[in-house]
Amino acid sequence: MLVIRIWNYFRGYVIIKIEGFTLEKFINLAISKNIILWDITRVDYTTLSAKVSTAGFKELRDVVQKVGCRVNVIEKKGYPFLVSKFKYRKMLFIGAILSISLVIFLTSFIWSIDVIGNERIKDEEIIKVLQSLEISEGIRKSTAKKADISNTLLLSIQELSFANIEIRGTKMIIEVRERSLAKIEIEKDVPCNIVALRKAVIEKIIVKNGRALVDKGEIVNEGQVLISGTINNENSDFPLLVHSQGNILARTKYNQIIEEPIIKTIDEETGEVFTTKEIVIGKKRIQLMNGEIPFKSYLEEKKIKEIGDLGLIRLPVVTIQHTYKEVKRIIIKQDIDALKHTTAVQGTQELMSRIPSESSVVSKDVRYMVEEQVLITEVIIEVIEDIGVKEKLTNTH
Amino acid sequence: MKKKIDDMKKNFSEILELPKEIMLDFPKITFIGNLQLYIENHKGIIEYGSLRIRVNTNAGILRVVGKNMVIKTIVMEEIVIVGEIDSLEFT
Repeated sequence: MLVIRIWNYFRGYVIIKIEGFTLEKFINLAISKNIILWDITRVDYTTLSAKVSTAGFKELRDVVQKVGCRVNVIEKKGYPFLVSKFKYRKMLFIGAILSISLVIFLTSFIWSIDVIGNERIKDEEIIKVLQSLEISEGIRKSTAKKADISNTLLLSIQELSFANIEIRGTKMIIEVRERSLAKIEIEKDVPCNIVALRKAVIEKIIVKNGRALVDKGEIVNEGQVLISGTINNENSDFPLLVHSQGNILARTKYNQIIEEPIIKTIDEETGEVFTTKEIVIGKKRIQLMNGEIPFKSYLEEKKIKEIGDLGLIRLPVVTIQHTYKEVKRIIIKQDIDALKHTTAVQGTQELMSRIPSESSVVSKDVRYMVEEQVLITEVIIEVIEDIGVKEKLTNTH
Repeated sequence: MKKKIDDMKKNFSEILELPKEIMLDFPKITFIGNLQLYIENHKGIIEYGSLRIRVNTNAGILRVVGKNMVIKTIVMEEIVIVGEIDSLEFT
């Protein structure tokens, strides 16, 4: 039973080894004297091991004399023995308390700040705002007022729609949400124009509401009004303002230029390697160099290890292992035909990611030019897309 | 004479439905599966080994045979034996 075990722990008990021949007699005598033995195990024919309380152990002396066996203490267990151990080892006790209090003390600081949820706003921008509030790594947790921080963040960075500050262990996690850039839909009853999103050649124009200002085959520039929401009324002096609607399909061009040198210098590794280590504590750097780098030209590789990251606590200790690999410069002349192919594919891929998904590709053209040993590849893709964008009519129109 | 008194006790307890272990000073033995065995009202241990334990009682010597048997606790009135108990018999 757990309660009995805890009781025994606080009273203190000893594990004893009993050696002799009539050990059953020993047990019977012990219980007749009200000495409680527990966990009695037979080790071999002449030995038993058992647990007995410290008070009971003293009383066992009589029993031992009567039975004529030998009793040895194997282990002392329990709280009283732990205390008496510390009596002789005061420094150990002080050290234990010191280390615990040190951990408690150190965990009352914020050692790292994480910003999550931001895509367009840079971490530095948010941290800058925090610094204006005098919040940085190494401040006490109690000085960081969560509500104040989130309010200041929302006020000073307009693009944020939400900011939540959470302190987890020694880490401050700032979770933000950015305002979505979704086009503000213009209400159906608000007069508006439709303007061109980009330079294009009109292919087809369907007007559902409003007045078309352009015709098929016309070249329009970015921002040009395609369908006007202002309709002149013959009966009155004031023009009629409507919410224009319609689709304008137009031919647009997308191009991508990729430059690739034909003659390339490649660094080939010789296999010779030279490594050094560096320890970074906060902003201090300690170089552990053994001599100069023995290579003329080399590639450097950095391996950063955050040895200070202990899960809950993150100390600013980082080791950097620099590996210098000796390289030989080799000049290679690339095959132009192969190069043309790869650049064309690469250019097309990059273009396709830029083209809106609803548009349809009409033609693709690839042009090559060689200029001073550099292959210039231009990929042009023509697409038909809807270029109309609604723009609110203001009073000045 | 003693047998007569014992018989009387037995009949008496049967009539009044009194617990026999108290009236007759008999052991009360409780098994928990084959893992644990309580013997209340014992009269001391005669033999103790990990394979065989013999306990003296008023109803005769109780022999417990099993494997890895350990006396968990032992006090005046009660023994708790833990282990794989195979058989139990009075001899």
